Order: sequence, then structure tokens, then C-alpha cells
Amino acid sequence: MTSKEKTINIDPEYGVDSRYKTPKEKAIDAVALMEARLERMKNLPKEQILKAELLQLRLKIENYLRDPDYDNKNDFAHFLELYVDTIYSKRSEFAEDINVTPVFLSKVINKHREPKDEFILKLMIHSEKVFKNWGDFPKELWYQVYFHEKLSNTMSSQHKWSAKLEEQVKVSPTIVK
Amino acid sequence: MTIVEIQTGKIYPIEILPVKSIDYKSLSKARYFFDWREEREAETYKLTIKGEHDILGLVSLERIPAEWRIHIRLLTVSEENRGNKKVFENIAGNLIAEVSKMAVAQFGKFACVSLRPKSSIAQHYVTKYKMNVTGLTLSLEVPEILDLINEYDHD
Repeated sequence: MTSKEKTINIDPEYGVDSRYKTPKEKAIDAVALMEARLERMKNLPKEQILKAELLQLRLKIENYLRDPDYDNKNDFAHFLELYVDTIYSKRSEFAEDINVTPVFLSKVINKHREPKDEFILKLMIHSEKVFKNWGDFPKELWYQVYFHEKLSNTMSSQHKWSAKLEEQVKVSPTIVK
Repeated sequence: MTIVEIQTGKIYPIEILPVKSIDYKSLSKARYFFDWREEREAETYKLTIKGEHDILGLVSLERIPAEWRIHIRLLTVSEENRGNKKVFENIAGNLIAEVSKMAVAQFGKFACVSLRPKSSIAQHYVTKYKMNVTGLTLSLEVPEILDLINEYDHD
């Protein structure tokens, strides 16, 4: 290979080996990096922290929607709680901003009440306004989470409802040949 | 997320998915620089054009929750996508952005992605991806990590 060919083929994104060679090397790097990061974090504006937390929420929701397994910890109420607590220091302030009572909000977050359509629509509008300043958040995500949870609940409890309902459902033999 | 075909300027949507056992058969050292079978134990992801099977780039990583960090172990574009004659642009950028999304999803405001490349290529990552330098380690944290995600995470 000529030196010209070598130059053409050198690419800093081809074959990058970044593995630590020894545990000691890894440990030393870890300490130095953590010190530097903590120092940099001291100067981090609050807006950037909020931006990171809201992006984290969006990514968690997107991961939840991609994941077909039902996880009790991740549901509409959980994501709503994260959303409210990320933006507000008091949940009652959020309740006021979307014109619902703090009691209603508390019941939705604690899964004692279903969110009404109107509540979800208000939440969509609120998210749209918040994320206008802090990043991208498809407003339909709230509805997707809500229905994903419904679907997951339905499918995971199939053993409870399917046998009883199957007795009531028949398909005409002319349709199924 | 997209890549650009340099010759035509055409934009292709991509997906980044975990490498499956069956993929290792096609991951030759000649095209992907490393013997990726040696990385089987590590979390490894492949980049392809959406709906296609041909792998254009790979990354393996180690999650270090105690440090709110994901460390990139190996990273490569495919052989035909290196140097001046590369076919597609943005392969490595998308892979780093995807790892960044994983870090933010897991660690939020503390998220960090680190890389420890040879010093001869480190400057490329500082210039192109705005990585911070700490000794021999390069890293992305808030706010740079958010900027990188915003730059690459779109259709």
C-alpha cells in the first residue's frame, strides 16, 4: 500500500478500540473522569438540567412503548408523576395550571381514578407548551402510553376474561370453512 | 435518524438494533476491523438502513451505573464507509447519538458517554462531537450530550 493509499484509508471512525487494557487503568480513569464531571456539573445551568430530565422522560416513554412486556412500574400514572415532579416543585401548581383539582390529580397519579379524555387533552397541550422551549416531545405520546397500558393490561389478564367471553362469541360456519 | 449517501445526497432512514447471534456470521474482520465474536459478551448494536440487512456500523458498550456512565468499547463503520471514498456519512455519529440516548434514558441529568481512543484520533471526536477531554478519556455529558442527540435524533 502506498503512503497516499494509507492516508485515504485512515479514518478516525474505523476500528476504534476504546477498551480498557487493565482494571487499574479503568479505575484511575473513573476517578479522574468523575472529578472532572462533578466540577463541570457545578456550572450547569438549571435549564440544561430540566432539558435533560424532560428528554429522559421522553426516552423512557418511547422505550416503554417499544417494549411489549408489561411492567407495573411503567404506566400512564408513573410517567405523569415523573412529568409533574420534573417541572413543578408542588403538584398543586400543575393542577392549577391545567385547571383540575389537586385531589383529582392525586387520584390519577395514585391510580385511584382513570384520567378522563379532557385530562389527557389538557396534558397534551401542556406538554406542547413546555417542550416548545425544552426540546421535542410528540404530544400524542400521552395517548399512546394510555392505550399501551390498556392493551398491556388486557393481554396480561387474558386468562381471566377469555374463557368466559369465548362462550358468548361464535362465528358462523359459513364464514369459517 | 438518518444517513446521507455522499455521492447522491440522498437521505436514508436508519435503525440501530442489538446484534443477534446470526449476525456474527457476516461480521468479518476485513469489513468491520475487529473480530466481533470476541465482543459477544458485551452489549453490541448494529446500524442498518431501515428495512435492510446490510450492517454499516457497529458499537459495543459497557454500562457503568455506579458512575452514571456508558463506556464505548469498540466502534467502527464498515470498510467501504471509511476514508475519502466512504459511501455514507453520519454512521458513527448516529451510533454515538444512540449510545447517548441510552445514557440519558438511564441516567438523566448525570448521563455520560465515554470513549478512550488512541491519542492520534482523539481530536476528531473533540472537534466533531464536542467531547470533553479528561486525561486520555473523552466524554459527553449534559449539555453536549443533549446537543448531539438533537443533532442526530430526527427523521
